Amino acid sequence: MARYRERLERDLDGWIASSLVPVENRAAILASVVEVRRVDASTALAVVGALLGGVAVIALVAANWSDIPRVARFALILMVFLSAAGGATWAHGKGRLLASQTLLCVAALVFAGAIGLTGQIFDIAGDPQAALRGAGLAALLLAVAGRSPWTVAVGLVFLGLGDLARNRFMDDASAWPGWIAVVAPIGAGIALWRTSKVLAHVAGLGCVVAVMTFDRVFAGQADLVFLIAAMVLAAAAFGARMLQARAERPAGVLYGWLAAGALLWFGVSGGVGDTLGGVVHSGAWLALSVAVLALGRHDRHVTVTAAGLISLLAAGAFLLFNLGVGLLTSAAVFGGAAVVALGVAFVMRRAVHS
Amino acid sequence: MRLGIPSQILAAATVLVLLLIALVAREGVARTEGQEVVLEISGYDPRSLLTGHFVQFQIQSALAVGVPCPPGSGVSVGKPTTWVALRRQGDHHVAAGVTPSRDAALKLGEMAVRGDVDCQAAPTPDASRVIMNLGVDRLHIDQRQAEAIQRTLQIGRGEPPAARAVVSIGRDGKARLKGLIVGDKRFELDWF
Repeated sequence: MARYRERLERDLDGWIASSLVPVENRAAILASVVEVRRVDASTALAVVGALLGGVAVIALVAANWSDIPRVARFALILMVFLSAAGGATWAHGKGRLLASQTLLCVAALVFAGAIGLTGQIFDIAGDPQAALRGAGLAALLLAVAGRSPWTVAVGLVFLGLGDLARNRFMDDASAWPGWIAVVAPIGAGIALWRTSKVLAHVAGLGCVVAVMTFDRVFAGQADLVFLIAAMVLAAAAFGARMLQARAERPAGVLYGWLAAGALLWFGVSGGVGDTLGGVVHSGAWLALSVAVLALGRHDRHVTVTAAGLISLLAAGAFLLFNLGVGLLTSAAVFGGAAVVALGVAFVMRRAVHS
Repeated sequence: MRLGIPSQILAAATVLVLLLIALVAREGVARTEGQEVVLEISGYDPRSLLTGHFVQFQIQSALAVGVPCPPGSGVSVGKPTTWVALRRQGDHHVAAGVTPSRDAALKLGEMAVRGDVDCQAAPTPDASRVIMNLGVDRLHIDQRQAEAIQRTLQIGRGEPPAARAVVSIGRDGKARLKGLIVGDKRFELDWF
């Protein structure tokens, strides 16, 4: 902030010299720049001391963990959880919303640990998936109570891990998609509603990962599942792009993840099964990648551009693989692609200038 | 009356704590009320450093030479969706077969428990080995005791088992560990 103020002072002097800004406004403009309170050495030392004290307590408890009676261990875990939740309550009451959100996330993580440690303390044999889903639902309950998008993100992570913890070789015959397929889109909606970029990142990734949990629903038709998923994600990415244009910040994050997911699953749809693979699919993938790359550049969106570029490289490799790795064939393919790209660029440039 | 957000956070945290306590209490009651069986075990893996102090074991026993594998047993399929019939043999229980339902299991043995059985069939003169997957495979315990039990389990490999698991089978058919018998010493799970 200090650097900004110094730069602003220099710029202001320049603007006043050029008669762009009246000299009498200089003091008022500089006064409007808020100085952030600097953390002094004593505060920094106090924070470090508190952290070291916390680590010392954890180490002390860990060293004597086996000697602590089981009930006392359980009570200790519950106390840590209640302390974090109580801290979040206090912070919210004081109007410190960021601190409250952070402590609620800590409480959600501690509760997840409490589930595992309780199982260990009392030798309760359990299902890892049930434990992870329990932790996820607990985080969502805390998130709803505290209106905390970050804690929703923690819940989504646990629910997603719960879906992935399902062992396909050990599971029963359930033919339902994972929970993340339902909660990730809801999380995306909450991210837009509460303007949370953190939640948008987690929900966007969750939407992409959720596709993996549909494999049992449409057993034997993985290629079609992935193709449909790519289309759904592309439509959602289009929607997020429209929202981004209306200055909805988390929409930009979702746009990036959804576009990347659409390209990913389109590519994968050609790699599994016999229906969609081959040169035509690889060619279509290549063309889509180029289109997304161009769109990313047009929108100045780094994630979309990067997704298009990486997808382009992968699609090119798959196309060569499908054609056979002949150098002459490769030269012809890349030459043709180059001519098409240059042609499209030329037409677009002409359209812009006219 | 409408609760403020701080009150809602506290209410949610209290509900979660009560749920966790209820889970522990329910498991404790089910463990106490269940029917007790004793099963032969052996050690099979080094302890994982990341999971804390525990003894890891396998519910495993050898069949007499020439005795076929229990009906329904096969390669382990993990998550217990089948039922294992248990039959008394001397001072402990052994697997009598694997069935898709509890009623069918109770026709093969006097008790039924959720799980499955992997049988490693061996030609004569070797004895086949039966491994029961009941979701019970470790006992968290003090490090010194864990190491002593582990040594006994490792030494006993290939010999008549020197250790047994005491398991409670609840009304829900789930197996819950109550303790281990190693040599003549019994290690019980308690609240302290």
